[in-house]
Amino acid sequence: MSEIELSGLEKRYGDELAVEDVSVTIEDGELLCLLGPSGSGKSTTLRMIAGLTSPTDGGVHIGEDDVTDRPAYDRTTATVFQDWALFPHKTVLENVAFGLRMRSVSKDERRERAREMLERVEMAEHADDNPTNLSGGQKQRVALARSLAVNPDVLLLDEPLSNLDKRLREDMQIELREIHEDLEKTFVHVTHDQNEAFTLADRIGIMADGELIQVGDPHEVYENPKNRFIEGFLGDTNFVDGEVAETTADAVVVETELGQNIVLPTDDSDALAVGESVTASLRPEVLSIGGSADPVDANRTDVAAADGGTTNEIVGTVENVIYRGSTVRYSVAVNGSSVFVERTVADSGAFDAGDDIRIRWDGADVLAFREDGTRVDL
Amino acid sequence: MSGTNSNAAASGVIERVWKPLAARSRSKRALLLMLPLVVFELLIFVAPFLILLRISLSEAGERGTAYAEGTWSTDAYADVLTGEVAREVITHSFTIGLIATAIAVVTGLLYAYAIWRADGFTKSLLLFSVVLPLLTTLVVKTYAFRPLLSPTGTLNSLLESIGLLSTPLEIVPGLAGAIVGQVYIVLPYAVLAIYSVLATMDWQLVEAARDLGASRPRSVLEVVVPQAMPGIIVATVISFAWSVGSYAAPFLLGDNVTFAMRVEGQILRDFQWPTATALSVVMIGAMLVVIAALVTILSRFGGEMEYA
Repeated sequence: MSEIELSGLEKRYGDELAVEDVSVTIEDGELLCLLGPSGSGKSTTLRMIAGLTSPTDGGVHIGEDDVTDRPAYDRTTATVFQDWALFPHKTVLENVAFGLRMRSVSKDERRERAREMLERVEMAEHADDNPTNLSGGQKQRVALARSLAVNPDVLLLDEPLSNLDKRLREDMQIELREIHEDLEKTFVHVTHDQNEAFTLADRIGIMADGELIQVGDPHEVYENPKNRFIEGFLGDTNFVDGEVAETTADAVVVETELGQNIVLPTDDSDALAVGESVTASLRPEVLSIGGSADPVDANRTDVAAADGGTTNEIVGTVENVIYRGSTVRYSVAVNGSSVFVERTVADSGAFDAGDDIRIRWDGADVLAFREDGTRVDL
Repeated sequence: MSGTNSNAAASGVIERVWKPLAARSRSKRALLLMLPLVVFELLIFVAPFLILLRISLSEAGERGTAYAEGTWSTDAYADVLTGEVAREVITHSFTIGLIATAIAVVTGLLYAYAIWRADGFTKSLLLFSVVLPLLTTLVVKTYAFRPLLSPTGTLNSLLESIGLLSTPLEIVPGLAGAIVGQVYIVLPYAVLAIYSVLATMDWQLVEAARDLGASRPRSVLEVVVPQAMPGIIVATVISFAWSVGSYAAPFLLGDNVTFAMRVEGQILRDFQWPTATALSVVMIGAMLVVIAALVTILSRFGGEMEYA
């Protein structure tokens, strides 16, 4: 069993609080991604699991054991470092066999196991090379083989892919995923790249300012973020600030900086009070666009409205069009503010800079946040 | 006609030396930059050494002269290589050299590791403490050990007063005293040589070793020492060359004659220049051999650590 339990984990450097009250249970065989911007404490948390940093407060359990005060060499974890930390004066094979040598495995056996590991990561032909002569991707594979060679219960990955180029990174993500499925070990993977987290993770833990804000499966944290920070961090969105103008039994009307009111349908009319500041998040994927010449019907009953939702509509002018490979992003000026919308390349091309367009969305797809960043439960 | 020929021959020789040098050093500019250093070495080291070599091959002089100019003889070398006194002097010099080097390099490694791991004020303090002794003249700081370590000195009185000793320790004058003084002289250089290499090393390598199951001492031995080996080699060469040729520490704190003291006596007091210079030549040769051996042995650890 290699379930990991972190309870009230805290790390303080002088007055600086690097990690604050992190509590989470990482299940046996799970791949948890700790996701957050740099300085959010995710690497420090990982290092405390590895035993490379000792917590100021709180505890770490791995399986049945309280390992809080155990040094790194006495834990069943293995770490893949961001810069890979390969020993430059040892060959690739010696690097991979190092952990086994520390465990006093006989020379023949450790060489054999090291070779097996190198074959698994397709680096067998580089066994006798000096690691300093390898490319980034190759070093990454050797580092992975070196950590896996000691057959750890828990594999800890500290942004190991961040120094690789995009293509290689995506390949390695798939490979890591496969290795995880093969080995059925617990993985904790630290990253600042949300795409990587979504590709790899069984569950994602989002960290900011030393705190673990939300833990959940990728779908849940994306669809149901706990606060405004997470909504902004996971993918792109338009935050529109406003003030509650009116509340009715089943809707909240918000007067926005866009110069037009937006309507948020709600089950709880007491969720927001009139005059309260509120920020709506308009994700590009919930926005649909059309030309300004399209017939406007104030009481339209389109699909969204038929679902019981509330269709919102704003009008603006396309400021610029940015090709982003598979998608096209329109930046639209609405009453002095800027809102962006995305279309796939296949159905783009309809609009150019200077065109007037309408942006529509179903009010039920929009999340709202209070001034302090907390999510409004609509 | 013959003038042009010899010119061509000379330029041929220059070309033969220059071309491989230029090829190995990538650019002619690098060689030009080396030129002042080469001239300096020729003037300050090679030329005097050739004069010294010549004197060592002369006959001993008549009464009142240092050596007989224009004569050739290998008597001085025979003297040095067979004489009992010379052998004792050489043994004593190498004893001080090897012991002082071993102590200085091991202590230097630990001290450099401490500086590397420290941060903030502690680091500055440790570094400053290394540099501080370099600001005092060698004779003064060496002489300071006499009142400290002599039988009636501070250390002995202190140990006697707290009842740890009944008879004082004979550190100064003695071999131990000479070694203490010599280690104190070379230690800062050993520390700085090793620290300069450690400073460029990535701490994460040590963490990786520990993460893979290496205990603290083991991780230092497996990762830090091989990485620091270039610095350790420099520290060893500096400490050894200096300690074998030491003069001040054994003179002020020792009870025996090192080769440097012997050479000084023969040149200034006994006027036996051929024997003095022959002893120097033999010592330089012996030191080169020992240093080459040390470097070869140490380099092996800096390369790939064999599967133990």
